Amino acid sequence: MNEPVSKLQEILDAGQFAVTGEIGPPKGTNVEPALHEAQQYLEGRVAAVNVTDIQTAVMRLGSMAVCHLLLDRGVEPVFQMVCRDRNRLALESDLLSAYTLGIRNVLALTGDHVAMGDHREAKCVFDLDSVGLLEAMARLEAGTDLGRDAKGNPNQLDGVPKFFKGCCVTPCADEVEPQIIKLEKKATAGAQFVQTQAVYDPAAFEKFMNQIQHVKVPVLVGIVLLKSAGMAKYMNRSVPGVQVPDAIVQRLTDAPKEDRAKVSVEIAAELIRAMKPMCQGAHLMTLGWDHCVPDIIQQAELA
Amino acid sequence: MIVAERKPFDEIVEMVAPYKKVLVLGCGSCVTVCLTGGERQAEILASQLRLAGRKKGLDLSVDFDCITRQCDREFTENLKFDPAEYDAVLSLACGVGVGFMSGVLPDTPVLPALNTTFYGAGVAEGVWEEYCHGCGDCVLAWTGGICPIARCSKSLINGACGGTNDGKCEVSQDMDCGWHLIYKRLQELGRLDELRKMRPPRDWSKNRSGGVRRLSREEMAEIAQESAE
Amino acid sequence: MQKADLTSRDIAELGRVTELMEREWSPCRYHCPVHADVRGYIEAAAQGRFGEAIDIIRENLPFAAVCGRVCHHPCETNCRRKDVDDPVAIRHVKRFVAELQGAEGCTVHKPPAQDKARVAIVGAGPAGLSAALHLAKLGYRPTVLEKFPIAGGIPATAIPRYRLPLEVVQIDVDWIRAHGVELITGVEVGKDRSIQDLLGEGYEAVLVAAGLAASRTLPLPGSDHPRVHLALDFLTALNFGDRPDAGDDVLVIGGGNVACDAARSCVRLKPAARVRMMCLENEEEMPAWEWERREAEEEGVGIIFRRGPVKVILEGDRIVGLTTRGVTRVFDSEGRFDPQYDDTDLSDLQCDTVVIAIGQMANMGFARGSGLKAGPGGRLEYDPATHQGSLPNVFFCGEIVTPPGSVVEACAHGQRAAKAIHMYLSGKTIQIDDSLPPYIDTIQPETAEKVLKVCRQAIPTDPPQRRRKLFTEFERGYDEPAVLAEARRCMNCGSGAEVLTDKCAACLTCLRVCPFDIPVVTDVARIQSTLCQACGMCIAECPANAIIARGRDVGELVQHTAAALAKMNGREPKVIAYVCGHHAGAADWGGRVEGVEGVAEIYLPSTARLSSAELLHAFENGADAVIVVACPDAADRYPQTADRTRRRVNQARRLLQEAGLDGQALQLLEVADQGRQAIRAALAEAAGKTSAS
Repeated sequence: MNEPVSKLQEILDAGQFAVTGEIGPPKGTNVEPALHEAQQYLEGRVAAVNVTDIQTAVMRLGSMAVCHLLLDRGVEPVFQMVCRDRNRLALESDLLSAYTLGIRNVLALTGDHVAMGDHREAKCVFDLDSVGLLEAMARLEAGTDLGRDAKGNPNQLDGVPKFFKGCCVTPCADEVEPQIIKLEKKATAGAQFVQTQAVYDPAAFEKFMNQIQHVKVPVLVGIVLLKSAGMAKYMNRSVPGVQVPDAIVQRLTDAPKEDRAKVSVEIAAELIRAMKPMCQGAHLMTLGWDHCVPDIIQQAELA
Repeated sequence: MIVAERKPFDEIVEMVAPYKKVLVLGCGSCVTVCLTGGERQAEILASQLRLAGRKKGLDLSVDFDCITRQCDREFTENLKFDPAEYDAVLSLACGVGVGFMSGVLPDTPVLPALNTTFYGAGVAEGVWEEYCHGCGDCVLAWTGGICPIARCSKSLINGACGGTNDGKCEVSQDMDCGWHLIYKRLQELGRLDELRKMRPPRDWSKNRSGGVRRLSREEMAEIAQESAE
Repeated sequence: MQKADLTSRDIAELGRVTELMEREWSPCRYHCPVHADVRGYIEAAAQGRFGEAIDIIRENLPFAAVCGRVCHHPCETNCRRKDVDDPVAIRHVKRFVAELQGAEGCTVHKPPAQDKARVAIVGAGPAGLSAALHLAKLGYRPTVLEKFPIAGGIPATAIPRYRLPLEVVQIDVDWIRAHGVELITGVEVGKDRSIQDLLGEGYEAVLVAAGLAASRTLPLPGSDHPRVHLALDFLTALNFGDRPDAGDDVLVIGGGNVACDAARSCVRLKPAARVRMMCLENEEEMPAWEWERREAEEEGVGIIFRRGPVKVILEGDRIVGLTTRGVTRVFDSEGRFDPQYDDTDLSDLQCDTVVIAIGQMANMGFARGSGLKAGPGGRLEYDPATHQGSLPNVFFCGEIVTPPGSVVEACAHGQRAAKAIHMYLSGKTIQIDDSLPPYIDTIQPETAEKVLKVCRQAIPTDPPQRRRKLFTEFERGYDEPAVLAEARRCMNCGSGAEVLTDKCAACLTCLRVCPFDIPVVTDVARIQSTLCQACGMCIAECPANAIIARGRDVGELVQHTAAALAKMNGREPKVIAYVCGHHAGAADWGGRVEGVEGVAEIYLPSTARLSSAELLHAFENGADAVIVVACPDAADRYPQTADRTRRRVNQARRLLQEAGLDGQALQLLEVADQGRQAIRAALAEAAGKTSAS
């Protein structure tokens, strides 16, 4: 095993249960609140913080800038990169830029279609897919890029980056085999950790984990904080590969309004406790409720 | 075949507004088949324009004609009306026909009445779907005959993204997930090994990224050259 | 034009699409001996254009009224509808229009000058008069000489009045004479004047159409008894008002149509008498038309098969019976008439009257003093190709030279002879092209089952008990509603869709919209005329304007609409109503009903072929509103029409709205099957609405 390039890698290499958090950059330049939240609630509690990259194709401040600002404040970022908005030139260039800014954890994602976001008339790029992006990183790490010189030989880099490369998977997709196949390909392409789509069904997750035993990559189970029964129902209806069991929906429905945040935290913590033995970490997506993270970690007995 | 749809009528009216005498020109190929640009549609559009012109009190005269293909020069010989006698030709061909006719008729503006939408096939009576992207580097051999470039909204090459949902695409519940179709087909064919293979980043230079594309069949092109000499 | 493919260039060269009808005939036309445009006149009748219908019939068939009564109608026998349900009752449609219009109600096509040669015609039967008419139309001056005091031949003199009233024959004779055909009755050529006399009098040719005027007789012992009648004389006597002597137990010898006529006449002479027919043939071989035999049997006529006559048994001066012998065969192995008898099988049949109806023969008296040569077997020399005998200016036609046949066959032969005479008198070699276009084959079962079944209109007939007492007609004709309904059963064979192959994009639209699954698309679409039901659905939907209807000019409806709008000039608003006329009366089609102010009604056989483009053109041509009056589901003659019509109206509305017009100016009313009052009320309401908006 190579020397770890980030704290996250170090924890996972050491076989410790890793917890990551996530923040979304603002739509505008007012970046301070997001940084503040990350610092206040996540720093010291999670190994690293994902910074989303124009999530759901809604235009926002860039992920790389926020990652850099987090680094400045001593918070280790996971730089999310989607393939929707940049061709391979821009992706490779941004990877080099990120590296020079000190960013080491990179999560390669396909990215939501522009049709999902607020710039529906934009042109989709998808020059590379997530497997291709992982391959691009591996290529840069090997000192070349995806292009060729006039003689057809790989271009040589002047200074070589080194990343901790991640990818994602949807464990509870209605059809899991294609997900597993693609995960295998991502691992082959160089993925070193996996963060999953939200999971609410530990039994299904256990089954999935058994099916991917051969993929020797640490998995951080995705936990999306359910803020209300409405949100749970919405996810069941509209978010691919996410199934919130009826019992959980019921608990949220039954919870009095003032207790709702408490119940949300309880549910998240229970899920983590249940799935902790099956995987190598948890990725907490609180969707703005970062203040709940300390409670979740405490109740999940991760602190 | 090429599938096209008619432009909004108001846009067409705006296009022909500077002209008094317009020839609506249908194309007897793909756009006839997809019921948007054949002789009947030319007849109907001409009729609509005359009605609209009369309603607005415009001095607009409109005729219609149709040729076998607007993407070959020779068929213009069969025109019943002489385009030179018109202020503008309103073409119901795909963009190829409109562009080509613009070259054939250098003195007459050729205007597009259609939006060219995709290369498709008729999947039901009156319904056409996109099947090919014209990417210049066909991958159908290893995708069970279902094109990931045309039929995956993101043109992915290594399998479905996380947006696949009950066989549908995240873009719309009415849209099949192309990779779901590929997976099912390969499963049926017992060829899931094709799905497991790593597909390196595509060479898009054969697509639009290589600039304007051109096909020259040497055997024919040479003969043409000799006979020209 | 015989080639299978048609291009828009061919159409441009044709001028009128109606000529396409000549590419391939419907079987009714093909099998009609005079090749009357049956489909054409049935369509005219279906649309209440009865005057036009009779004119189309008379174009080819001078004896339209007679044939309306007695034709053996090969058109019906070969009608393709027989494989769907029952053939169209073509003869009865013809009868209705011929008798409705009479002689005065038919157009007379007399040429401006009739100054060509004079031609004498011997015999005013169907053959002779048809020839005379044809010659008159070509500008000749024909004179028909008839030995009987009335013209018409066998139909007038020997077909019983209960089947064919004399005034019906007179309709045809009068119409033919109106063309400048001179008729001289009561002159027997060969007795009163010879053929040589005629040629000497300035007739440049003579046509002998004397027919088979004499009954064949039998050399039976006892046959000279006054109660042994020859059928033709017997029937002629009846037709001229005599009552021939017949007893209470009649035996008619013979199994043909004349024998049936004689037997049925005997029933009417003495309804209490026993009347039997006796013939050599068995049931299957019997030569009478199936319906003649059936009607005879219904009237109580008995039939004895497979017996031949030997002698008439007399007791004193009374006939008491007929000795008969068994028949072992009638025809030889090659189908020639060659009866063989078993003389050991003798038996007597009781009777007191015998009528011999074993066939007719020519009376050769006309040849006396003509110089015509007889050929082998005592027959006149005659060339069937040129109609000429041994003298070049003496021609023959009709049954005198053909096997016995029907009225319409005689007409055909007379017309052919007239052509020969025309060539001869024009100084040309006589060469007549008898070739015909191919005809449309029988309907395929898979198509037949998709055609809406419609019962043949019943033909009102007197019950046998009543009719056996009367010499008046027993079969009533159709009334107007029945004729319309019957004519609308016609499948319009041969007037179907035709693909212009140069325009066809093989888009499959025709295949998709055809309610009968007929089109096949290979390199281009092909619509087999043998299968096409002529609904016009594909014509209305073809995106390439590549399908046309045989017999209908492109843009016909648009022009018709423009003309109707022009007539309404000065009145506002102008409303065009396209009405499905499948359930409409003749008066509706003819515009002879009270309409709605400001609404011009245009009738269509179905809305199946009414395209959305045509709806737009109506507005372009000045209509302020258009109302489509269609049949609701299942009431249209073609499947799926209501649905297609709805879609087209909706499409046309959208197109109108795009062009800035009011979509509501186009209305669809699905009331075409509900009768005039309902249609009128709906039109009035819709017209009110559109003018208000």
